[in-house]
Amino acid sequence: MEKILAKKSFPQWVKKLDSWRVYIPRKDEEGRWNYFEADGGEVSLDVLQTTLPPKKILFPQREVFLEFAKTLAGNRETLEIKEVLPEVKPTVIIGARPCEARAAWMLDEVFGGEFKDVYYWKRRDQTTLVGFACTTPPSENCFCTSVEGSPHSEEGLDLLLTDLGDRYYVQSMTAKGEKLISAAKALFEEPKPEAKKQVKAAHAESEKKIRRQLKDARPIAQKLKGMFDSPLWDEESMSCLRCGICTYLCPSCHCFDIGDEVESPSPLKGQRVRTWDTCQFPDFTMHSSGHNPRPDKASRLRQRLLHKFQYFIQVYDKFMCVGCGRCITLCPVGIDIIKVLDKVRDHGA
Amino acid sequence: MAKIEDLKEEAKKLLREGKVKYIIGYGAGSNGWLAAPLFIKKPEDVDKLVWDPTCVHNLVRFLVDEKRRKARQKQPDKRPVGIMVKGCDSRAVVVLLQEKFIDRSDVYILGVSCEKMGVVDDAKLAKKLAGKKAKRVEVDAQDRFVVTTEDGKIEMAAEELLAERCLECKANFPVIYDLLSGEKTKRPLDKPFGSLEKIESLSAADRSSFWKEQLDRCIRCYACRSACPMCYCDECVVDSINLAVTADTTADEKAQRIHWIQRSAESSENLVYHLVRAIHLAGRCIDCGECERACPLDIPLRFLNKKLEKEAKELFGYEVGFDPALPALISCFRDEDPQDFIR
Amino acid sequence: MELNVYTPQLAKIVQTKDEVVGARAIKTFRTEFANGARFDYRCGQCAMLSVFGKGEAMISISSSPLIKDYLQFSILRTGRVTAALHDMEVGDLIGVRGPYGNGFPMDAWQGKNLVFIGGGIGLAPLWSVVQTALLRKSEFGALSLIYGARTSKDIVFKDELADLKGQMPVHLSIDVAEPDWKEFVGFVPTNVLEKKPSPANTIAITCGPPIMIKFVIKNLKDLKFEDEQIYTTVENKMKCGIGKCGRCNIGFHYVCKDGPVYSWADLKKLPQEY
Repeated sequence: MEKILAKKSFPQWVKKLDSWRVYIPRKDEEGRWNYFEADGGEVSLDVLQTTLPPKKILFPQREVFLEFAKTLAGNRETLEIKEVLPEVKPTVIIGARPCEARAAWMLDEVFGGEFKDVYYWKRRDQTTLVGFACTTPPSENCFCTSVEGSPHSEEGLDLLLTDLGDRYYVQSMTAKGEKLISAAKALFEEPKPEAKKQVKAAHAESEKKIRRQLKDARPIAQKLKGMFDSPLWDEESMSCLRCGICTYLCPSCHCFDIGDEVESPSPLKGQRVRTWDTCQFPDFTMHSSGHNPRPDKASRLRQRLLHKFQYFIQVYDKFMCVGCGRCITLCPVGIDIIKVLDKVRDHGA
Repeated sequence: MAKIEDLKEEAKKLLREGKVKYIIGYGAGSNGWLAAPLFIKKPEDVDKLVWDPTCVHNLVRFLVDEKRRKARQKQPDKRPVGIMVKGCDSRAVVVLLQEKFIDRSDVYILGVSCEKMGVVDDAKLAKKLAGKKAKRVEVDAQDRFVVTTEDGKIEMAAEELLAERCLECKANFPVIYDLLSGEKTKRPLDKPFGSLEKIESLSAADRSSFWKEQLDRCIRCYACRSACPMCYCDECVVDSINLAVTADTTADEKAQRIHWIQRSAESSENLVYHLVRAIHLAGRCIDCGECERACPLDIPLRFLNKKLEKEAKELFGYEVGFDPALPALISCFRDEDPQDFIR
Repeated sequence: MELNVYTPQLAKIVQTKDEVVGARAIKTFRTEFANGARFDYRCGQCAMLSVFGKGEAMISISSSPLIKDYLQFSILRTGRVTAALHDMEVGDLIGVRGPYGNGFPMDAWQGKNLVFIGGGIGLAPLWSVVQTALLRKSEFGALSLIYGARTSKDIVFKDELADLKGQMPVHLSIDVAEPDWKEFVGFVPTNVLEKKPSPANTIAITCGPPIMIKFVIKNLKDLKFEDEQIYTTVENKMKCGIGKCGRCNIGFHYVCKDGPVYSWADLKKLPQEY
């Protein structure tokens, strides 16, 4: 379904979505971008990148799996465990970047399959993703076009809005998307044929504005298979601080920890929680014996890159990188995934 | 003015003669205007070294990695590593020497003086440029910053662009070095703790809500800890496992390790993490500002450390990182130390 | 209701036995599900055990899937969760979820001789196969076991091994000599060379410390075993057990899901990341 929404009608539309929980990207007083609940406030349509991608809405940093408690009845102690599932209201993320939705399309693979992750799907099934085509790249390090995405990619999105000056061209890809249009039918018009042409032109134009490029990503994925033992990883990881920025802020990184948090040791009461974790922390893979299969920064940088550019492709035939550039922009020491992969491509050439 | 040519010449000589294993310096970054740490093993790569006001990183952090690397090697190369340090960074070397974490023979120090200037604050620069991309930042003869952007040059007064810590710098030039480039000149410093005034003027309740709001943003990526040259412990209270565990560590030791802090990035846990870190840095933090710069969520961590630096100065007359022969503040006791905390 | 893959079933400890005491203590537990939950598994599969308040640990199931009354686990006391397990008594409740992993391809081994080669706690995952092979004895050729531990005190399943000797050749070893020890003295890989199992129509299944496995494989190769005739198990740190949490992978394989059982032919293709 394709529609036109006048820009001046946009706030009205958002207001009509009152049976959804609406998240939008917004700037705080200090100029920091983040996804906030809209709560009837201003909807800003700037195109800057939030520090944290909306991954945190589908895959929160902390998720309670179950509650456990011991109770004393007489002198008999009983242990009770109670499964906790999230109560999720229908949710809309408005203003998601197409690459961020593409990341959800990747996470769907991880959390689906033989062992379905109910926590993820409880949220995912209830969430509608409304993307804005990036007419201006939201980051100087955007490289989505190099990893089979684009500033107007549709994977993972329910609706895609493209800025055509005073109106948006609205493309609905799913029934979820159509439901949002139905919530305020009167605001949407049928597009005229020239609008279709305009949107095509806008999309083509937006692709040209992407400043950074990773050439030959697929051949690199092939080449990586032979580079596990390359000295490159040591060289490129020398400046790595072993922090979690590149992975925690990555829209597609999803590694996690499961641990018990004890509220009271006696009588025992607490929760089992899932929290974000990262391959960049040394304790991530460390065995109880002290043995660590990834003992140094080189092996951890390699894991991050191979997971994204080799293993995920081997299993799902997709990159596990959407090219948002956050890991480049936010790395305190300037480790640049494009430069590292450039070296892989040019290695031995 | 500090000249990179001085350093290059020395660096080439050191590498050619095999006097150092490698040199940790600054090179051009691939991401925008900011320099990036550069590790040089061959003399022919020395020309990649740069020195400009975007050399913000405290490279002393990498001496911690070097020590870890050596610990993993069966026959470690015992030669020193060469390292480029600014004034602030040099004081981090002093602390590591005081704490006997490294030995003076482990490092060959290539000092650069910031003289009356310092390094730029990336957030300030980004604000000034309002979307434009900087290509280069230089200092002119009048101690002003010259920023080259996509559409021309912009001049800015030092105060507009300098990192907050540089405005409060007590050592614009290295206090320890094997080679020094640049003059031992300083910026005039009226208020060494001026940045704290605003937060100190708040009531306890307001300070508490200020910090709650700030620390609630923390996602526990540990970039602050990772960027800090003083956070070198293999056993850290926030890790899920003690990284110092070996095959000889007993099951009891591992089982009895207390999890003081949960992994969840919740208010209480974040607060404890940052307070534990701040306390562990009391009398050790040299105000390089790397924790705050590295933080992707812009938590003003420098305030915490600066406050403790001020306490150390006021209570004990202690200034961090000037004398490698002096015992570290927390590990010494003097009769004249204040006792009034005992009640 | 949807199945929640992260929710364990409660199981009661019905029997405990000290296998090894001291610094490297090993204890064997038998558990029964509190609510009669079904738990079908294959030899070599693992289960995620919970001690509530301490966390979870992935443990191989050492009982035979042909025995339906209980699950058996032999556990080395090594960290937080395993230490807590060792403190538990008969009647205590733990959580069990699983089974996880691929398991041994026993059906493919029909008609073949099986030689089991274990070291230390590494006998636990093999034990499930040994028991099953005995129960399905007619389906296999000759069975034998080569097993060793650091000292005679570190040998697990002592009574069961004594019984086993009536049913198959059992070659034991300890690393250094002890006064009353009558069997082989030396490392397990050396004992393999000493006992010279024949590769003819044989599958060798080995499990133990990584360094032992490495040399056992090397020596089996010297005895002319083909890569396809050698099976082993891999251990890595695990949290989810279902190929999602991201830490146990070797290359693109998740050990929890795609392993832990590998033929040497398959394992040697993967990077050395375990």
